[in-house]
Formats: sequence, C-alpha cells, structure tokens
Amino acid sequence: MEDEDVFTYMVGGKAGEGVKKAGTAATDLFLDLGRESFQMNDYQSLIRGGHNFSVVSTSIREVYSHHMEADLIVNLDERSRKIHEEHLAEEGLMFYNLDDSEERDEGLGLPLDEMAKEYSKPDLIKGVAGIAVLAAYTGMDQKDLEDLIEKEYSRGVEENLSFAKEVYKEVEEKIDKTINLEKGKTDSTVLTGNESLSLGAAAGGLDMYIGYPMTPASSILHFFAAHKDDLRVMPIHPENEIAVANMAVGATVPGARVMVGSSGGGLALMEETISLAGMTEAPVLFVLSSRPGPSTGVPTYTEQGDLSFALNQGHGEFPLIVASPGSVKEAFFLSKEMLDLVWKYQTPGIFLTEKHLSESAKTLGLDLDFSDEDGLETKMADEDDDYKRYEKTEDGISALKFPPSKDLIKWNSYEHDELGYTTEDAETVKNMHDKRREKNETLILDLKDMNTVNEFGEGDAVIFTFGSTTLSVREALKFTDIEAKVVQPVFLKPFPIWELERYMDEEVIVVEQNSTGQLAKLLREKCGIKPKTVIRKYDGRPFGPRKLAEKLEGAIE
Amino acid sequence: MKLDESEVESEVENTWCIGCGNFGLLNSVKNAVKKLEDEGIGKDRLLISAGIGCHGKIFDYLNLSGLYSLHGRESVTIQGMKFANPNLKVMAFGGDGDAYGEGLAHLIFAAKRNADITMIIHNNGNYALTTGQKSPTSVQGFKGPSSPEGSVDEPINPLKVLLSSDAGFIARGYPGKMQHLTEVIVEAGDHQGFSLVDVLQPCVTFNDTYEKYNELVEVLDEPAETRKEAVELVEKEERLPIGVLYKEKMPVFNEKVYPEKNPVEDRMDEKERFEAVKKILDEKR
Repeated sequence: MEDEDVFTYMVGGKAGEGVKKAGTAATDLFLDLGRESFQMNDYQSLIRGGHNFSVVSTSIREVYSHHMEADLIVNLDERSRKIHEEHLAEEGLMFYNLDDSEERDEGLGLPLDEMAKEYSKPDLIKGVAGIAVLAAYTGMDQKDLEDLIEKEYSRGVEENLSFAKEVYKEVEEKIDKTINLEKGKTDSTVLTGNESLSLGAAAGGLDMYIGYPMTPASSILHFFAAHKDDLRVMPIHPENEIAVANMAVGATVPGARVMVGSSGGGLALMEETISLAGMTEAPVLFVLSSRPGPSTGVPTYTEQGDLSFALNQGHGEFPLIVASPGSVKEAFFLSKEMLDLVWKYQTPGIFLTEKHLSESAKTLGLDLDFSDEDGLETKMADEDDDYKRYEKTEDGISALKFPPSKDLIKWNSYEHDELGYTTEDAETVKNMHDKRREKNETLILDLKDMNTVNEFGEGDAVIFTFGSTTLSVREALKFTDIEAKVVQPVFLKPFPIWELERYMDEEVIVVEQNSTGQLAKLLREKCGIKPKTVIRKYDGRPFGPRKLAEKLEGAIE
Repeated sequence: MKLDESEVESEVENTWCIGCGNFGLLNSVKNAVKKLEDEGIGKDRLLISAGIGCHGKIFDYLNLSGLYSLHGRESVTIQGMKFANPNLKVMAFGGDGDAYGEGLAHLIFAAKRNADITMIIHNNGNYALTTGQKSPTSVQGFKGPSSPEGSVDEPINPLKVLLSSDAGFIARGYPGKMQHLTEVIVEAGDHQGFSLVDVLQPCVTFNDTYEKYNELVEVLDEPAETRKEAVELVEKEERLPIGVLYKEKMPVFNEKVYPEKNPVEDRMDEKERFEAVKKILDEKR
C-alpha cells in the first residue's frame, strides 16, 4: 500500500539556471546514500527563460517513475513557486526566492538573486542553491556537500563551493527540522534511456551512429559524438534526415552495423528509405523517440502517439521489426537484440521509445551478461560460393558478403533477380515477394523462442501497457491494493499474438499515453482482446503514479 | 558471378534510345574502370551507386558491385559506403533531375564536407524516363508535358553552385569526345576527395543537343588556377569548356571526423567492447 518511503525532490526555475543539473546532482546525492532514484526533467523548447523543472523520487527500493507530490520543492523564481504550489506533499517544505516572491508564512525564502549576484555567473549558479537546500534539509554534513559540489559542479568549483556553503548555512539556521533519509544498499549506475540504448548498441557491436538533431533523440547523437574514441562508433551528423537514412543504408553494404535516430517528424522524412531498406534488405536500426504530435507538436514533452505510425512505416510490403523497451535497463538489452535481429533478417527495425524513457534518468545495475546467446547469427556466404545477393532459400534469408570481394554483390531498390539485377518479370516479381514474406515467417518462429512480452506481478486484474508507460504503471501499483498482472508487449511487430491470445476472454485494462488508444486497437485487431477500460493521457506529461493508481482503482472496482 | 571473370559491361538488355548520349558515357566508364584497374584499383573494391532515371540503368549495365539507390539519394548512399569502409573506391551516377533537383542538398553537402566520392552526372536537361518534363538544367522556354507553354524558370548552374560549396574537383565531359571523357573520369576517380563530372548528355528523344554541343564544346588544357577563374569558366555560354575545370586537394571528411579508423576493418572484439562500455558505466556511478 502507500509507500511512505518515497522521498521526492523538485527543483524549478528558468532555463539557464541549472535546474536539470540540480536534479542530476540530487540523484547523485541519493546514490551516495545507497538509494534508488528516478529523475524526470521537464523543460521547454527554448534556451533562456520559461519554466523548467526536474523532479527526483528516491527510495531504498527500486523506483520506476517519478512522483508529482514533492517533499521538498526548491523554486528559483516566483513562476516556479506558483506552478508547483499544488505539488507540495503534506508536511513538505517549499523553498522560494525572496528576491522574486513575496515573503510567506509557509515555507522558507532566501534572497537568492542578491546572494548570487556576487558571483561571475549569477543565473547559472542559482541551481547550486537547489542542491545546497536539499543537503541542509536532509541533514547532510557540510563536508559531504562539499564533496558532492566538487564532483558535480567542477567547472568554477571555488565559486560553487562558496555559494553552496552560504545557502547551506542559511537554510540550516532557519529550518526547524530535517528529514532523515534511510540509507540503502544500492551501488548502481545512473543512466538515461538514451544513454542506456546507446551503450547497449555499442556493446552489441555498433559501428556507426548517424543522426540529425531532433528532441528527444538528439542526446543519442551527442552521446556517440562524445564517446567516439572510447566506444569506437563513428558519429555522423549530415544535412538532413533523408541523408541520415540513406547514408545508413549505404553503410550496410560494406557491412557496417549502423543505427540512426530521430523523433516522429524526422522518421517521417526517413520513411521512403525504410521502404528502400525493406527492398534492398538493408539491416538498419531506426530509433524513434516520440514526442507529442502531430507535426512539430510539443517538442520536449512525451507521448505515445506514434505507435501506429511506427507499425505502418514504409510503402510496399516487407518485413519490419518494431519493439519498445519498458524500462531504462531493457533499453540496453533490446538495442543489442534489435541489432542482431535486423542483421539476421536483413530488414529495417524500429526501436520505439518516448521522451519519458529517453531523457529520464534512473539508477540501475547492469551486468553485461549476454551469455544466454539468442542465436541471432548473421548468415554469411562461404568464400567459394557462386554468390547471389538475393538467393532464394527455404527460410527466405540470403547470405551476405561484403566488399572488397571478387564476387558481384548487387543490392537493388528496384525489384530484382537473385543476382540483384533489375527485373519486371512477373514470376521473379512474385518470387521475390514470397522470399521477403518467408523471411517474416522465419522471423516469427525466432520470436516465438524469445522473450517478446514482459509480465509483472500476479492478480485477477490484467493491465496492458507498453513502452515508458510501463514505468508509470509499475510505480502506480505500489500505491494501491489492487492485485494486478501487468502485461507489456516488448515486440509490437510482428505482434506476439501467440503470447497474448490467452487474454482474449479476460477483463483487460489498457494504459497508454495517447488520445485514441492505439495499443487497445492493436490488441483488438490482432488478438481479439476487447479492453474494458482504456486509460489515456495526452497532455504531454507522463502519468503521475498516485493519480494513475486512483484511475486504476476506479477502473477495476 | 566472379568479377575478374566477367566483362565490365553486363549482358543485361540495353534499353536506352538509339543515339543516346548515355552510350558514349557507358563506354567511357568501361574504359575508365579498366584504367583504374591498371592503376591498382581493382573491381573487387570499386563500388557504385545510381539514382533513378534513364541514367540509373547504367547500374544494371555494369558488372560492378554496389547499391541501386533512390531518386536523388545516390550521393548519400555512396558516402555511407565510403565512410563505412574508407578503403573502398566509390563512384555514383546521377541525373540532372535526380542529383541537381531532388538531391541537390545532398550534393552540396557532400562537396562541402569533402566526402571522398566520385559523382558522374548524366546531364541531359530533362526528365527523360518520365517522358521529358523540364529539369533543373532545362533552358528557359523548354517545352515538356509539365510545361507545354515553355518552362518559365531559369536553369540552375550546378557547377557554379558546387564551386561555391567548396567542391575540390569539378569537371565537364562530353560523350561525343569519348576518349577525353574517359580520361576525365579516371582523373576524377584518382582525386582524393569530392569529385564531380558533369556530362553534357544529349537526349535524342526529348532534348537533342548534339548539334549545339558539337559546336560549343572546347577542350580545356589546364584546370583554372583559382576557384574564381573556375566560376568564370562555368559561366561561359558562348563556349562550353570541357575537361577538369578546377582541382584542389583538401583533407577528406572521414579523415577529419574519424581519423585513421575504419569502422568495419578496425573493430574492437566483444571483450574490448564490453570493457569500453563498463568503463563508461563506472564513470556514471
């Protein structure tokens, strides 16, 4: 039932005031206490001004998603104080900036602007106050705070230390109680979903990452650019998304394992090339990190409105693999598995995720144990074979060969014969369609031996969800007496009907983050499941676990 | 099919119109491939790509490995091949509608980043495969099914655009002077960095320019010394200089962004990869 152990910290202010950084430092502070945490960053599509906030929920148990009921809220300006008034938990502490807000009976105010103006970066340094207030409020030693500042705010560290100590002392004197955070046993890593999927792909042998900036996928490109030497993945940022996708297809010809990424608008530009990858049998993994659409939409927020879009990519008929991770950890293993799959089947794959998973950070333990080999080997041609790029085989999969080679290796966007020459011959056209369809049938056989659906918990109620909403649902179930089984299809195309048909006669609830209920439709169409209730949210903000718990109770009782 | 046991020209039925400028171009390419082989660039490491249009059929007419790409995208496809394995020699064929229209942005950026690729553009001033509509290089007043009263817009000067985009090698050739075209293609292939050969290709069916080109083309002995002089050369309308118009050696893209590494040939093994990933994970603690 209600988990009193979760402590939630929120920090809000203008862009350029170091809000997100304060959230990251808080996560680090909690990790030093051996505590798990989940950090969600809410920011706008602008560089200066506006309102940003970061929220970190922490516990000694695993926290799947952040909460919107905060025990400590640090507001760097009055706008933040007003916005977050409704997010203050009972007995929580509201900290505000006396230079921007009126003095109040409740909470604690300090003249932050006045204090910050002594420093060389008076805007940016305000974020440091966020962490100093947290340290004082949680009874952290000043020495520990200094260590944390040195680690997290190393640039201009002297000023940061001085400002942090100043704020810390003032808060320590003025508050009448501190919160004691129980120590946990976590010794883990903090990763965002984008970092996790990138590292998983790198571990899985990625050779190149090609991307064009588009939130919330840009940080994948930044990650590979920053780590090109140590991870040995070549990063490329070409002129547009069309170039991204076509460069990726070209790179597969000499055998490079390549991944590309964008959000919905960028993927729309790549769609012609997804079809090209289907026809030429080019193994390219496309990361689609969704934000609210249609069109430019709400760039820095979250939504699951692109499920149908992902499933229906590309003109013409060809095998397409679509899968979506339900946790930051799963993002790591799934990207490697997807790479193996697209290579085995020589066809495009879409790694579908959303801003909520891409850009939220979570503590997690990872061991790089891929020992349960999935048997997804790329079929390579023998040296002496009379090589044919599109040779007809029983399973539909032709062997690959990479140049330099003495064999003719022709990949073709036109319909082609086995050697890869263009054809309009009726029988060959039909045969090649059969070949690509047979690949899909073999793919389904493989998927039947793999983990394609995650199930969490036991209970009479069955809750279907997918992608990042899995995080919200799992956290919500910590705050209700409902006994429920959560079913999360990881693979969405081919859809694991074989695993899901048994829910046909169950009373199913679907939770998803879009306005039309796309997962519910898919379940109805593919498995004959008729959901009793579809809980939807489509304001760009992820579900708050406690509110979702109430909705689930309403739906089940 | 073994490349060393087969001719450069394939046995696929050639469907270009009789008299098409593409035949001279194909012959020049065949001869250039042989010359490049003599220089040590074997067919085993020569990859090609092509866009979509009459020009693209050359992909099927050549027994060379590669990928037959999409309309306008061949310049990017070929860069992908090159960046994945810089030890390969790559050459892409484009049309004027294709490379100078649909794919112009890609071409400008390939020049700007100095990708080590060779582009051969079959510039026939119309969209021939779709029955002769106006193209980016069609002259004003060009009549086609989409401009029955004559095209109203000015043609672009693609070579001027590319010279302004820092292209390091710009050449022009004419299939009516096949031997010369062969030499130009070989020189483009030898150039390290972005190279483009604009081929003045008469289209006997929709835009027959043989007479015009026979009168106007003029073999240039030496490339222009400066970029500015090269721009003046390509602005000429009273004469059409052919040959290497401008040549400048500059550092190539993959060496600038990923020096001394070859994504497919210098891989880490699984153990090294895991260690690299673990190291980053440790830093995130």
